[in-house]
Amino acid sequence: MLDWICGKTYWTVALAALAGAVAMLMAYTPVEATMGPIQKVFYVHLPSAINAFFACLLVCVASVGYLAQRKTAWDDLATAGAKVAVVLCTVVLLSGMVWGRYAWGKWWTWSPRLTFSLLLWLLYAVYLIIRSSIESPRQRATVAAVYGIVAFLDVPLVWLSVRLMPDIHPTSVTLAPPMKLTLGVWFLPVTLIVIGSVGWLYRSGRRRTQRRRMLQSQGEAG
Amino acid sequence: MMRAIRTILLLAGKDLRIEARSRQTLALVIVLGLLIVVVLGLGLAAGQKTSPTAATAILWVAYLFGGVLCFEKTMGVERQDAALGALLLAPVDRGLIYVAKLVTNLVLMLGLAAVVTPAAVVLFDFDLSANPAGFFTVTLMGMVGFAAIGTLFSAVVSSTRLQGGLLAMVVFPLCLPLVVSSTQIMIRLFGEARPLTAHDVGLLGAFDAVYLVSSWLTFEKILEP
Repeated sequence: MLDWICGKTYWTVALAALAGAVAMLMAYTPVEATMGPIQKVFYVHLPSAINAFFACLLVCVASVGYLAQRKTAWDDLATAGAKVAVVLCTVVLLSGMVWGRYAWGKWWTWSPRLTFSLLLWLLYAVYLIIRSSIESPRQRATVAAVYGIVAFLDVPLVWLSVRLMPDIHPTSVTLAPPMKLTLGVWFLPVTLIVIGSVGWLYRSGRRRTQRRRMLQSQGEAG
Repeated sequence: MMRAIRTILLLAGKDLRIEARSRQTLALVIVLGLLIVVVLGLGLAAGQKTSPTAATAILWVAYLFGGVLCFEKTMGVERQDAALGALLLAPVDRGLIYVAKLVTNLVLMLGLAAVVTPAAVVLFDFDLSANPAGFFTVTLMGMVGFAAIGTLFSAVVSSTRLQGGLLAMVVFPLCLPLVVSSTQIMIRLFGEARPLTAHDVGLLGAFDAVYLVSSWLTFEKILEP
């Protein structure tokens, strides 16, 4: 399964789906009346946001798995999930800022949803920084696992807290049927790319761990 | 139950006795808190009246940085002379060790707040009389959640021999929702003169519950001599 996800066929399908979605966005999807062509960032924004949530969930599940079994495979999976989560949060944050620039005339406002994206990005960026700050693999995995669990439990709390802030963000977006169809189609390439990236990062993480172990055992034998 | 409470009091009492004899942590934390209040006060144009929003934000910054120092020191004591190894050998549930450390940290943070808050009130002409009970409730509930996360990660980070910046870096993002909520509630209390509602208390209580339960459950897994 992992070899297939990291293989040429999978990535060809994923990139073909992305090309199809881009073509659909350009040729088929109507331009929104109020926002103009900039509204089209929404088709990347929403699938990225939902996939970011699942990437964060993956980090949490893998972290629980590591603390329960102490197997490095779980740690490698959590790392892969966190890297993808940070990239997706960056996409969500940047596309949200572009939207805000055209909707409200400012790149940044402390609106609950933009703040939520920023805090989520910070949470998982720190996860990666923590990992690079600790040398011992076992301690690194333990600290990261505890952080990964608490960070995911923090996600709904971040959402609750930012709702206390004054909001200028639209609570619902009305879409015409062709727009809804385009949005649905965009979920496919984004999800395929996310799954493929997690698989690829997981595999390279496993290889790194195995190489480190091999070098360690050679050093002990020598 | 009584035995658990007795154990917690015994362990927290031990930490507080060490602190009472050395007076290292509290003195350090209070001076740091006062320094933060003064530096930020000067940065926000000295001599002009500071808004309640800025005053509460400055206080939170002082509590956060002072708190991180408390967490490091209380767990650092256990790392000296392999005291943690001896503590782990004792027939005591590790969850109780967590609660005892949490109580110690909370007592120290309340000590910090007892000095830094009046100082900020005087320096910024911050009128607490509008809702003193609301201020203390929000501050206390915020501190419980912050200390819950800080105590957990001080145990994790202290074992890595990477202290200082790393603990702050780990704890601050996790506590951001609590800080955002506390400051937003404070703005409503003092900026908009609204009363503290059951919803506000419930929200902060939910945060505390999530932080306490998740920290208590994971503490056992991560504590190593």
